[in-house]
Amino acid sequence: MAQTGTQTADLFAAPAPVLAPAPVLAPTPMLAPTPVPPPALPAAPVCVLPSPQRRRSLWYAVVFAGAPDLYQLSLHAQQFTSFVSLAAPNALLLEIQGSLRLFGTCVRLRELLDARWQALGVAAQSAIAPSTLAALWCARVGEDLCSDDKTTLTGRLLEIPLIGTAWDAARLQTLRSMGIRRLGDLLRLPRAGLARRLGPAAVRDLDIALGRQPEPRRAFVPRERFRERLDFETEIEHLAYLERALEPVLERCARFLRRRQAGVQSLSLRLRHRACPATELRLGFASVTSEPRRLAEVLAQRLSRLELPAAVRAMQLVSGPLQPLSAVSLDAFGGGGRDTAVQLIERLRARLGEQAVYGLTTQTEHRPEAAWCRVQQLSLAALSARGGVPPLEAMPRPVWLLAEPVLLSQREVHELGLASGASPRDPERIETGWWDGKGVARDYYRIRPARGAELWVFQERQTKSWYLHGMFA
Amino acid sequence: MPRESSSLADLLADARVWKLKDASASHRLSSSRPVWSTGQRALDARLPGGGWPTASLVEVLIDVHGLGEVQLFLPALVESQRCTDGDIPWLVWIAPPHEPYAPALAQQGIELARLLVVRPASATEALWAAEQALRSGVCAAVLLWLKGTDDRWLRRLKLAAEEGGALGVLFRPERHRFESSPASLRLLMTQGEQQARLELLKVQGGRPGLVDLGAP
Repeated sequence: MAQTGTQTADLFAAPAPVLAPAPVLAPTPMLAPTPVPPPALPAAPVCVLPSPQRRRSLWYAVVFAGAPDLYQLSLHAQQFTSFVSLAAPNALLLEIQGSLRLFGTCVRLRELLDARWQALGVAAQSAIAPSTLAALWCARVGEDLCSDDKTTLTGRLLEIPLIGTAWDAARLQTLRSMGIRRLGDLLRLPRAGLARRLGPAAVRDLDIALGRQPEPRRAFVPRERFRERLDFETEIEHLAYLERALEPVLERCARFLRRRQAGVQSLSLRLRHRACPATELRLGFASVTSEPRRLAEVLAQRLSRLELPAAVRAMQLVSGPLQPLSAVSLDAFGGGGRDTAVQLIERLRARLGEQAVYGLTTQTEHRPEAAWCRVQQLSLAALSARGGVPPLEAMPRPVWLLAEPVLLSQREVHELGLASGASPRDPERIETGWWDGKGVARDYYRIRPARGAELWVFQERQTKSWYLHGMFA
Repeated sequence: MPRESSSLADLLADARVWKLKDASASHRLSSSRPVWSTGQRALDARLPGGGWPTASLVEVLIDVHGLGEVQLFLPALVESQRCTDGDIPWLVWIAPPHEPYAPALAQQGIELARLLVVRPASATEALWAAEQALRSGVCAAVLLWLKGTDDRWLRRLKLAAEEGGALGVLFRPERHRFESSPASLRLLMTQGEQQARLELLKVQGGRPGLVDLGAP
């Protein structure tokens, strides 16, 4: 960024000695503020810091003919470099600076890569350049560029037809009507005018192509799943046999995950029957795991709840998306008999159902029935004890809250000593929520009837009727 | 749970060891073993060690909910979560008769992020869940509300509680009073004239009888 033009009149004048073209259009005074380049900041604070030495990068771009399967091709490309990036719809970008030590020169590496595409039977054009877009544009138009020299880059790009940029048709049409067909023509134009006519994105693309601005790219990460299908020679009718048959599959699944240092948070098991539709089981884990013991345990609990509609002919185990294992999800002491909270919760959930196991939390809300809610997503991170006294609210709250306030009959009101005149003192008045249509205006009392439990009752202030809302247990 | 050392004092302090001694004397002796106060001084004085024992099963026979039965355990639950060096242990409430009201629990000082409510579909599942939670070793206390159960399951719960070092509390109706129970403590709570009436039916290492819950 430090290098990007800070002066509006700074054209794309190449630092290269080749063909420094004179501007055709005179630099026009800026009429409207343009978003690019960034407003001329006082240069001093930027210059004080030494510009960070960016790691040099070298890009191999390959453009395939037709509609290639980029996913498969990326897997092949990953044999040559650790950084492959997709450039939809039909191109790949490979960062190869890091691979040169292994493969020798970039010419040699390019030969190897091109040979690979040929062996796969896909027509491809490639180019190597020190910037992503330069390599891509060259590859697209078939320009045979294979250089890691940044100083001569601009000169090499001048003759590239604009069609290679794969910009949208409207922009290319605008440029064609201006009589601009090659990159060189474009670079001769003043920057501010370009930004105004073509939009800041075009100027940014040019900056990237010329290597003045890095382009962050998303690396290709293969989506992998564990998938295994078992066909049984004889149909399985008992769950116990099914469990036995699953054991080695789970073992392989765990090994598959371990090798990739990944875990899963879900597994799905599909049981096929002869006549009726397949049974689908989805297993959820409380945290990302690759522990075979945990996989087997949750599966066993889930199977114990299952009733097979028919004998099983085949089954298929498919893992959910792979997720990196964090240090927390690794069992440092190898289990050793004792459970972790995660294991306990997922075992309970596997047998009783997801909804049957939950946590509670408070909400800042005055209406008692809205001051709490259930939590399904339990926080499992380590929590250390908090010292100090708990924050005490002014008014005590009951341990049990009824799902709905219960209207007390006349007789009950009388028995509880709530009849008018004898009403208890010191109510807690809660009057809120008028804005969302569920407004309440209540006086809450804590009463202790002659025999029995301590109650939390309230009187509706408008209707004067009494309700039971909770119990102090 | 502190069961590694096996000095005589520790052994004697274990609620499972029967002592031919006055309960109040053993109270002073056992400062090393964690017991959790009930919040009721009168009740503390009657329990061996001076509070709810850890790693054991406590049974509360009660017909009406809301007599202050949860209040007897809340101070212990808070203390169990507060007095740890490492990760806060979990509290599990299985099949509570009503919805536990989160603001009330937070007000009492319970760490809600470590509270688990379980709503099983049947009594067997509830017992199974209780056994799993007690045995897991990550729970400080498991509270279980049941209509009825058999003796064999209670024995399993007791063993699980001892193994996991957790306090298991079982609430069930009064009609089970005359059944045998492996619980190390059995309490009966009924409605009294002014306040709840609390009777110790069985105290291992203590003296059964009526507890006068006068001043808290």
